[in-house]
Amino acid sequence: MRGYRSLVLRDNLDRRDFLKISGAAGIGFWLGNRSLSALAQQTPAPPSRPKTNIEDALKVPRTKYSLPGIFPGKVVEVQDAGAVKDDKPIAKAVHRMFEKGLHSLTKKGGKDSFALFFRKDDVVGIKVNPVGPGTISTHHEVVDALIDWLVANGLPRRNIIIWDRFDYMLKDAGFTPERYPGVGIEGLQTMDEAAAMGKTQDNSRWLRPDGTHVSDANFDLEAYYWADVEGPKDNAYLNQHVFNGKFSYFGKLVTKRLTKIINVPVFKNTGNGISMATKNLGYGAVCNTNRLHGPLFFDVNTEVMAFPALRDKLVLNVTDGLRGQYEGGPDYEAKFAYWLNTLYLSTDPFALDMVCHRAIVAKRKSMGIKVNEHPKFTEYLRYAERLGLGVVDPGKIQHVLV
Amino acid sequence: MKRVVIFGLLLCSVQVLPAFQAAVLPEHLISGWASAGPPSEFKEGDLFDYIDGGAEIFLEFGFDRLLVQDYRKGHSEIVLELYQMESSESALGIYLMKCGIETPIEGVPARNSGDRTQFTILKGRAFIHINNPEGKESLLLVMVDLARALLKFIPQGEPLTLLDELPLEGRIPGSERLIRGPYALESIFTFGEGDVFELQGKIFAVAADYRDQDGEPSTRLIISYPDELRAEAGYRNLRGKLDPFLKIVQERERGFVFEDYRQRIGTVERIGSRLEIRLNLIAPPSGASSFWAQLLRKPAAVSGGTGLM
Repeated sequence: MRGYRSLVLRDNLDRRDFLKISGAAGIGFWLGNRSLSALAQQTPAPPSRPKTNIEDALKVPRTKYSLPGIFPGKVVEVQDAGAVKDDKPIAKAVHRMFEKGLHSLTKKGGKDSFALFFRKDDVVGIKVNPVGPGTISTHHEVVDALIDWLVANGLPRRNIIIWDRFDYMLKDAGFTPERYPGVGIEGLQTMDEAAAMGKTQDNSRWLRPDGTHVSDANFDLEAYYWADVEGPKDNAYLNQHVFNGKFSYFGKLVTKRLTKIINVPVFKNTGNGISMATKNLGYGAVCNTNRLHGPLFFDVNTEVMAFPALRDKLVLNVTDGLRGQYEGGPDYEAKFAYWLNTLYLSTDPFALDMVCHRAIVAKRKSMGIKVNEHPKFTEYLRYAERLGLGVVDPGKIQHVLV
Repeated sequence: MKRVVIFGLLLCSVQVLPAFQAAVLPEHLISGWASAGPPSEFKEGDLFDYIDGGAEIFLEFGFDRLLVQDYRKGHSEIVLELYQMESSESALGIYLMKCGIETPIEGVPARNSGDRTQFTILKGRAFIHINNPEGKESLLLVMVDLARALLKFIPQGEPLTLLDELPLEGRIPGSERLIRGPYALESIFTFGEGDVFELQGKIFAVAADYRDQDGEPSTRLIISYPDELRAEAGYRNLRGKLDPFLKIVQERERGFVFEDYRQRIGTVERIGSRLEIRLNLIAPPSGASSFWAQLLRKPAAVSGGTGLM
């Protein structure tokens, strides 16, 4: 059962400076003397929003690995109709897809491409998406392909950690030590599902007597995303979010232990937007996030990823499009899931999300789903481009089909 | 023994869903399946705990309670989700949001759409999902049996006339939607923040897509308020909170024409106690000035867009 609560889009457009047009009363309804062009050229006022500490992130000098990474704006899409048989991914086919995609992205073989991103003493975190376990969650065959590549090129298995924000979700989705011997499996936090669902009043499995969350030490109090929005004070919120003030702390795993990150989201929607590469990390690497959905939503993806813990460590994104879901996301909704037989690779998560957003919009339209294409659903990607984190102008993205 | 399990489920449903009460439960339903524990029940305050990111739309349409029952047979699993909505309109509203292109399953005696992975069913105040998480083809008939057994206990509900407000001519079948607040509205178009039409969780708007004589698609949205005063208030609220990406190009006392971020045209007009809205037009609808129609058909005359994708 589900316990994680992630709200669908709530835009915050009550701060507006809409056009003041007056004096047309009494004229025929469709007639008037205003110039359409002149009126249409007026730029919409940028929406105001809560303050954040994004400026802190921007002050930190960039590194050679900083986003958008080694190949800005390049997105490789690998398709293989034989990747899935009888509703199960074929491991060999997925390996081939990954290798082809990597070669197309880097123009190098497995060993040389490894050297582009990693050293043999790196500690590499593979950020999966375990929501919709076993159905729309990151496929093990994709993770296996990544691990095989890393290990084949000299990275010890003990230096690989499969991670997500929630430990129980990893387990539900089959990311266990038994499935991945020698590889670390870590959630940034625990959450008591039974307490979250009201099935028990016993909070002792997540709440200490002093009112603090048992996972609070897993977060780095010196590395945080701050937004001028308070988290709710109730236990249900604290259970899920560890903290409830105005600070969303990064997991210590991300700030202290991992030296590189590979991001492996899945291809799915959330309302009119997508929940893929940037949301997998933007909402997956920090705590106390639900407070942010309403006032900031997708902008959180951009701003959290602007911090060095992600900006300078995320070297590769592989969007798992073996199975996609074009409606009903981010949770699993069977009717709208389908086998897409595709992997997308990029060092630039914002370019990647732009390509995937356009792909899912096209799919939604083809399936008769109502599509609201308001710019606000992709504005966070353009924001990232303005911050120098990605290349999202479709005219500048190099989209390679393999 | 197993059919007792299903019997038990229905009995339980009857106990917690007074609206679905039945005097007699049949003895023979399906066999060979065991429930994986008692059904879980979710009310308004805790629906979030079951639906990750999707509860708001149920609450907006009017939600009473949800029963979830997990069935097992060997390694196979079927999950039943039985939503009791506030009214038949509420159930229809959520069904139209969730059904996608309707693909009815033969043998399910109610409006439905589905495949081997999931049935979506509407009957009266009930909105039902029957999920086959592993998508096993072999479970399709079991899903049908479960649907048939369950539906016997759910009242038909009164006939609905809400969608009759939408003109039939040019209407694209299957495109109809109900709207009762910002979440459902947002799936179609962004007019502004919050309950911009002041539906207040009580008034249903209806929407559908249309094709004109040239085959061009557009969308119509009609809101019938209880009276002119409420309609005027809804109109004023919309006008005052209009999304900044919508640029008004013509206006009069009770209506305006706008251009959206894709340089498509929309119209809003209050006619008595109704608001009639059109979206995604390449030109104003018939009856509009030919001057505007000609101007708007020339792309070069319109500029200053947002460069959306």
